[in-house]
Amino acid sequence: MEIKKIAVLGAGVMGHGIAQVCAQAGYQVNLRDIKDEFVQSGIGKIRKFLSGSVEKQKITQAEADAVVSRIKGLTDLKEAVLDVDLVIEAIVEDIDVKKEMYKELDQICRPDTIFASNTSAQSITEMAMVTKRPEKFIGMHWFNPAQLMRGVEVVVHAKTSGKTRDTIVDLCKKLGKEPGVCQDSPGFVVNRLLQIWYNEGLNMYDEGITEPIDIDTALKVAYNFRMGPFELRDLVGMDIGYASTTTHYRELMREQFRPPRCLIMKVKAGDLGRKTGKGFYEYK
Amino acid sequence: MIRVVSIIGGGELTDDLKEILGKAQFKVVAVGWKQEYGKQVEETDLVIEVAPEDFAIKKKVIKKCDSKCPKKAILATTSSNPWITRLAGETKRPEKVVGLNFTKNPFEDKYLVQMARGLQTSEETLRAVKGFLAEAGITAVNLQETPGFILDRVIASVVNEAAVMYSSKLATKEDIDKMMKVCVNWPMGPFEFADNMGVDRVVEILDLMTEQLGPKFQPCFLLRRMVDAGWLGKKTGRGFYVYS
Repeated sequence: MEIKKIAVLGAGVMGHGIAQVCAQAGYQVNLRDIKDEFVQSGIGKIRKFLSGSVEKQKITQAEADAVVSRIKGLTDLKEAVLDVDLVIEAIVEDIDVKKEMYKELDQICRPDTIFASNTSAQSITEMAMVTKRPEKFIGMHWFNPAQLMRGVEVVVHAKTSGKTRDTIVDLCKKLGKEPGVCQDSPGFVVNRLLQIWYNEGLNMYDEGITEPIDIDTALKVAYNFRMGPFELRDLVGMDIGYASTTTHYRELMREQFRPPRCLIMKVKAGDLGRKTGKGFYEYK
Repeated sequence: MIRVVSIIGGGELTDDLKEILGKAQFKVVAVGWKQEYGKQVEETDLVIEVAPEDFAIKKKVIKKCDSKCPKKAILATTSSNPWITRLAGETKRPEKVVGLNFTKNPFEDKYLVQMARGLQTSEETLRAVKGFLAEAGITAVNLQETPGFILDRVIASVVNEAAVMYSSKLATKEDIDKMMKVCVNWPMGPFEFADNMGVDRVVEILDLMTEQLGPKFQPCFLLRRMVDAGWLGKKTGRGFYVYS
């Protein structure tokens, strides 16, 4: 099946970026959120990003205008998804809210419309099973910022059809992204391995072996990691990191995913990282 | 203050150290670990042993240095194993024994040193060695000796989890490697790290960590089977990938 028209649900951090990438590749995009101010804020961010690209002479003003003209902002769900070939869902990371959304979409959308969830934490299988089209249900996990990060995890579950998978892999390539296919499982591939990398770093600090700066420096200088685990925890935010680690630990039920003590204590102390001015390091 | 450095060993690290330390105006004496030496190390401030990664050999070298070198000299082992306190116990100067583990960056011509202290290593020794490394322009990080030190512990743990994921067919090895590079900007994927490090070395570190730190480090069966098959990575022409 060829994708021509796409609906992106949720105009937040991920949703607006995904909509922009699709529109830049020439697709018609309906960008939908529950309130018009959210939709307008998303479109505003897209405009701002594109004017940056125009200033850097990466694209012309005419091209930037054309991208924006392909994006239609909406709050009405039915109108947003009625005639699309693909729905990319990037709404709040709450399994119950997502399931309700998919039940509704299943009723409104054409039977051949593919559902792709941008979730990083919820089970693709669980969401697929509330619809009558599990074979057309897939995960499409983007990374922040969607405009710049090249990779997309394409997550299939036991009932995703080969056709759906191939359509989405092909779409990723047309969007200028590098797709990687994996089976539905907690954390998929990328976040699960990142958890191990974070945790072993943080555990060594908990064990009193060494300090955050030594661990970060070692990984950056020896192997060219762009950031060490402590710097990245500070950047992403300790609360988000703690939630992610806890989810992995609960779902994979293995010791290597247990949240490190230093992470728990930072959350309790309110030292959440860059956004609060202090995490493992101090920021001014 | 460290001025005269003796390197006991051979191989790439010895050659690189001679060049780096020579440029930084240290007096460098290099001798092979099998070779007879005595006079060469009489004036030394710091010995760096680069002998093969075998405890019996390292012990022999350290004991010999302890008897031939002046009392003030610091004895450093480049071992990637947590043998510092053990080796220190073989000498009459345990407070002057320290670990200096060198890792060569696979992309650039530079080293990272993991400076590991044993239980008895003194602050004075650490200060002197830190000063020496700074003067030589080598980036160093500090830690207590522990299985895998910092780098091998993190990388071997990641490789192990990736091997579990690959064995259970969650994704292909190519996709796992690619995803880590394109989604979160890792310099290499886990299987590329494994092939570079040597699958046998990965298993060795995981076994040692399992023994000393706990069962969560237990190596995935696939890694053991690869060692059985001789698929050790780049050095044998085949690991997770085939090299020609």
